[in-house]
Amino acid sequence: MKKYLSLLMAAILLLALAACGSSSDDGSKFIMGIDPEYPPFSYLGDDGSYTGFDVEICQAVCDTLGWKLEIFGVNWDQKLIQLDAKECDCVWSGMTILDSMKEAGYVISKPYYFNTQVLVVKDDSAISSSADLAGKIVAVQLGTSGEALLNEDLSDLAATFKSVTTCDSFLKCFTELSGNAVDAVFVDLPVATNYVKEHAGFKILDEQLGAEEYGIAFRSGDKDLCAKVEDALATLVSNGKYAEIAAKYPDIVDNLIFLND
Amino acid sequence: MSLMTMIAKMSEGLEKTCAIFFLTLLFAIPLGMIVALLRMSKNKIISGIVRFFITVLRGTPLMLQLLAVTYGPHYLFGADISRNKLIPVVIAFSINYAAYFAEIYRGGIESIPKGQYEAAAVLGYSRLQTFMRIILPQVVKRILPSMTNEVITLVKDTSIAFAVSYEEIFTIGKQIANSQTSFMPFVVAGVFYYLFNFVVDRIMGLFEKRLNYYS
Repeated sequence: MKKYLSLLMAAILLLALAACGSSSDDGSKFIMGIDPEYPPFSYLGDDGSYTGFDVEICQAVCDTLGWKLEIFGVNWDQKLIQLDAKECDCVWSGMTILDSMKEAGYVISKPYYFNTQVLVVKDDSAISSSADLAGKIVAVQLGTSGEALLNEDLSDLAATFKSVTTCDSFLKCFTELSGNAVDAVFVDLPVATNYVKEHAGFKILDEQLGAEEYGIAFRSGDKDLCAKVEDALATLVSNGKYAEIAAKYPDIVDNLIFLND
Repeated sequence: MSLMTMIAKMSEGLEKTCAIFFLTLLFAIPLGMIVALLRMSKNKIISGIVRFFITVLRGTPLMLQLLAVTYGPHYLFGADISRNKLIPVVIAFSINYAAYFAEIYRGGIESIPKGQYEAAAVLGYSRLQTFMRIILPQVVKRILPSMTNEVITLVKDTSIAFAVSYEEIFTIGKQIANSQTSFMPFVVAGVFYYLFNFVVDRIMGLFEKRLNYYS
């Protein structure tokens, strides 16, 4: 009896292993790594499936290349580790290109979006520029370029703050702001625009900090993959499909590099 | 960033990790005893209610409870969110751990044979005296290994506090990992946790030895 039981266990284990292995690449599947909480680039749509500008473009790229798109929600502050672990084939989700990524050997696509960082405060706040932030608490999302900026290029500004609160999603940053736990949120412009439009009581300060660009990250050695995606993107731009998708996201159209050359 | 700077930076977070750890134990150990006694109450309503709360606290993730304590009042009543995150963190951890401790205490208390209560009554001990002088010392001895388990889990659970932006050691590790695109901070964090638990384990071991007065 025991023998059969152990045989059964072994069979179950094998099955489980096989199930894990079944995600083997047949070459036509493309796993897109996104931050599922990053509207308007990538987010969970009203119908319960992932959508957003980046997701729609990636779908169009996959349609062009005949790939099957699979979407994988990464843990944003560990996105590159997850990319290396082959949990996804790229990170494509309003990702700011950082020098440290290139230094670490990741293949980064041509930039497609020009971005700046802005400060969001409550409507009734007395803060009107970054100079007013002295002695205040500022929230920033961990792993975003805003956080990197405060640590590096804008460290002088950050030094005037009372403290920086690091949240694991930008939604929590805004919750903290709404609950008066922080005085301002330092966040990417498109995210701020989107949030302020949908939630009353907040305003974006008219001051743009830290210019940067969005790109797609691939594993080192995936140069060919990157080239294929870039070619497909070029096709989409030339046949007008790119502009068509972009038209659905009026808040970000002005900063799309491919459409504003 | 050199390894030394990394360790120095993460040690700052260690202080905050310790704050959660010690304050949680400080509140959860006595709170757990109150909960355990209520749970064993002869009044069916009281024990029923307490039992329900214990199942909720043990049946939902600590992270969820932490979010509820920190942001719940804001979403429900528009109250301000605490600027000092240590307060909601310690409240959530203490309540959660009290639920676990309570069940361990209950197991310990119920493991003492009824005969001892009867013997104590014959010798003229009051109920309080029986509990404090005869039952409790034995309970402490019996539950110590289970308590060590929970205390060690607590050390590791402190990393959950990041969910409400409390900058303990693991959060700082993540921040460094991000800015440096390096895995090293996680290794350092792992070593920190291990050393912390090594000390905890030794201290609990000492207690066990001290209480092992019959062998």
